[in-house]
Amino acid sequence: MDTTGHTVTITINKNQYQAVEGEILLEVARREKIDIPHLCYESSLSPYGACRLCMVEVVTCGKTEMTTACTVRVHRGLEILTDTPDVIRHRKILLELYLAEAPHSDVIKAMAIRYGVTKTRFLKKIVTGDPLLGRCVLCGLCVRVCNEIMGAGAIGFVNRGPYTIVSTPFLEENPACMGCGTCAAVCPTHAIGIEDTGEKRIMRSWSGTPVEMIRCAGCGGYIGPKPVMEYARSRIDPVMAEELQELCPACRRKQVTR
Amino acid sequence: MDEKRLDEIISRYDYPSGRILGILRDIQVSEGYIEKDLLRLLAEKIEVPVSRLYGLVTFYSFFSLQPVGRHIITLCMGTPCHVKGARTILATLEDLLGIKGEEESGKYFATTADNQFTVVIARCFGACSMSPVIQIDGNLYGYVTPEKIPEILAGYGWHP
Repeated sequence: MDTTGHTVTITINKNQYQAVEGEILLEVARREKIDIPHLCYESSLSPYGACRLCMVEVVTCGKTEMTTACTVRVHRGLEILTDTPDVIRHRKILLELYLAEAPHSDVIKAMAIRYGVTKTRFLKKIVTGDPLLGRCVLCGLCVRVCNEIMGAGAIGFVNRGPYTIVSTPFLEENPACMGCGTCAAVCPTHAIGIEDTGEKRIMRSWSGTPVEMIRCAGCGGYIGPKPVMEYARSRIDPVMAEELQELCPACRRKQVTR
Repeated sequence: MDEKRLDEIISRYDYPSGRILGILRDIQVSEGYIEKDLLRLLAEKIEVPVSRLYGLVTFYSFFSLQPVGRHIITLCMGTPCHVKGARTILATLEDLLGIKGEEESGKYFATTADNQFTVVIARCFGACSMSPVIQIDGNLYGYVTPEKIPEILAGYGWHP
């Protein structure tokens, strides 16, 4: 949150709230415990508006306009309605579409039930052998964090339209993947599978890409993927890189307190 | 395609952003397809993740990742052509050329064993008034019926 901005008063569902000018509306709503369902919002990335679930109505001069709460920036006198019949109808249709797109996602099912949506009129995706377990909603968060935050670009969208999937190039193991697991951490529907087998980490969803793990210099336990360690070393000050030890949190604590 | 030729194609585009599609297009036009290793090499040269290039190549039906035959037959599968029997035309082509294409990823692609013909599907040529239409090496054929196909193909060296 930008603390240098002006504090402004905004109206959400007829109630007044304080917020910082330029703040993202969805952030304000989350802070004030106003429920706006959302899947693709991630504060460390730029606003994107992919999942369309956070649709709200903005009131200007008595007229309302639908827009996504994750792309609206707060300004003086902003007036928002989050639960109008139009908004709810919109969310219900979207949830039905998501039930068809990701039929195995418990997150989607739970969200849909809250809106009374238990069935979908749309053709459910056939998901036998899907590396994303029939849970992917194609929001693109994993692709964006891999590109924009990790700088690896290991995964991307493949094909188009109803055939679109997220995967590695040529659907083959990709050495560009560092095995950091950021993709799995941000995935709103827990679609990305990672398996740690000891000396290797297997990225099940990314064509089974194997990533080498490093051991703790103290106790010998596996602590993390080797490429991530190498990446970290290359990014920090050389003196610090030298001091950087490959220790697990427990061994590090022991060493510090000694 | 060798590395020198690839460098030449890249050098045609000096503007770093927005050149990717141009480069891919030039490779597709000159080779008829985009080879896997070439795509990897290109990614390295222009410093773009392979995943991004692969995404573009699989997105546009214009690009092909497999080698194509001498003649390219593009069958229109737009709504009017579909209604006017494009499915039957496709079945006839498959029958006559002895091929079976896959449409799993949304792209239809099939090449004959002798590498003479490749059949692909397009969504609309904008020639709906002449539907169903097929295009062979840039020549358009309208009002196609299964009976007319052997004659059309014969013009490109096909014989039963």
